[in-house]
Amino acid sequence: MKRKIIKKFFFFLALIILMIEFIPIYILLSTSFKDNMTIWTSTSPFQPFKPTLEQYLGVFKETPFTKNILNSFYIASMTTVISIVGGSMASYALACLPIKRKKEIATGIILTRMIPQISLAIPIYLVMRSLKILDTYTSLILAHSTFGLPYVVWVLIPFFRSIPKELEEAALIDGCSRIQLFQKVFVPLASPGILVAATFTFLGSWNDFIYTLVLSNVKTTTAPMLVTTFWGMYAPEVGKMCAAGLLIIIPIFLVTFVLQKYIIMGLTAGGIKG
Amino acid sequence: MQNKLDFTDRSGGGISRHLFDNVIFLGPTLIFLFAILIYPLIYSLYVSFHDWKLVSTVPPKLIGFTNYINALKDPLFWNALRIQVTFILIAIPLELIIGLLVALLFQVEFFGNRIMRTLLLIPFFVLPSLSGLMWRFMLQPRYGLIGNIYYLLNMEPVDWLSNPRLTFLAVILQDIWRTWPFMFITLYAALSNFPKELKESAEIDGANKIQVFLKIILPLLTPAIVVACFLRLIDALRIFSEVYVMTEGGPGHATTFLSIYIYKNAFRFFNIGYANSMGYMLTIIALLISFYALSKIYKEELS
Repeated sequence: MKRKIIKKFFFFLALIILMIEFIPIYILLSTSFKDNMTIWTSTSPFQPFKPTLEQYLGVFKETPFTKNILNSFYIASMTTVISIVGGSMASYALACLPIKRKKEIATGIILTRMIPQISLAIPIYLVMRSLKILDTYTSLILAHSTFGLPYVVWVLIPFFRSIPKELEEAALIDGCSRIQLFQKVFVPLASPGILVAATFTFLGSWNDFIYTLVLSNVKTTTAPMLVTTFWGMYAPEVGKMCAAGLLIIIPIFLVTFVLQKYIIMGLTAGGIKG
Repeated sequence: MQNKLDFTDRSGGGISRHLFDNVIFLGPTLIFLFAILIYPLIYSLYVSFHDWKLVSTVPPKLIGFTNYINALKDPLFWNALRIQVTFILIAIPLELIIGLLVALLFQVEFFGNRIMRTLLLIPFFVLPSLSGLMWRFMLQPRYGLIGNIYYLLNMEPVDWLSNPRLTFLAVILQDIWRTWPFMFITLYAALSNFPKELKESAEIDGANKIQVFLKIILPLLTPAIVVACFLRLIDALRIFSEVYVMTEGGPGHATTFLSIYIYKNAFRFFNIGYANSMGYMLTIIALLISFYALSKIYKEELS
């Protein structure tokens, strides 16, 4: 009996925590369905209101949202492809091949991930400017790969290590080349890790703010950058900001739900077992 | 799965036989990282020794360590560093405590545990820039959430974002809101891995809940806490986008974190040599912490 009451108490406690935590999310969601009049005249964000799709229509009709979200999608996809192809091969080499000083190389690659982005963004801007590729997809994809590649190497090393050595030897004796071995044995066996690495690389690029701010302009600007422009100098378009903001985070929520089993692994790269 | 970074040789073959494979597999990434990461870093060091203006017809002038010395004499640089450190010392411990308490709470199998756990992850996946904007909106005195709270308390609303202390507090609150779920989920995962018998046997021995927590759970949880705090520390050192959209570093310089100060020097004042010198100092701080932490955290794995 006592145990039952404790469970009930804990349930309500958790529910209250969840409700407090979700206030900003609720405001984001509800504001995106309000018209401008309601947003600026209501005394409380929790007042009942008549939902409207006005803000969403406005986002699609009056702003370059469609173009920007396609930009985001393209840049994130290309970053993911480059990071996964290069990173998984490097990770395999560092995990399984006899390379001198591989501990130092691996540590060096992981350390580059810890460099504050502003310290890299400024010299990358200067380099891209002298190459005359500012405001191109290439510059953003390359810049995003500076965090994508090291991340993939970091996440995948333990996965490749966990594949039994015997499998490798057997395949090599059968006359498999290293590249065939990698493609046909290691990649399929490490596929959960590759999925996690790909997802988080994609999210990193999708969420990026600083490189887009520094490197891109009208042509290649991404959806998150557009959302920040809705807070203008005089008349913040909060409704549009919330509608577009919600559209940007929906893909992230879907991924979170599908991959929740692997999230810890992706966040801490094996530092904590999930 | 074996979650270890261990690098003992397992190929069984001679070094030269595999040289070709090594180049094929590791080469592209190393070349790529050199071109887009190492080269810019070296270039940044070069720029930092110059009086270099972003838009100017005057050629950059070599001035040695002057930028670094100027930074150390610059009260605004120290102000940014102080803000950064204060932020880290307040936000991360609070995130840790909230995350840990909620992780312990969720160890009890109550109704809806699983779904609530998943939902609590959502704020962590909200883009930092969007989170900053939402908080800016909520803190508007007349129509935001904060205005409503003052109204309910029958008080005249205060504009948080024009008061230096309250703005700093708001940035901390925003960060706590977004990232305690990260602490929660990593610590929850670590707690779930403990064998159940451990706690049960301790309880039979007559130890009370607090003793069990302090003597058994906390020591076992320490490695996970260290990893989680390290990862948060690295992120807190480079906090930028949420503050940039929320306060633009203001009012005054109340929330001008290092990254924001560096950004402003580079792209508002076009003083790119100076910005690079400060960026380099920030990089060195981050790398020293990371190097120390990585060698501790992954001690057995890296040796």
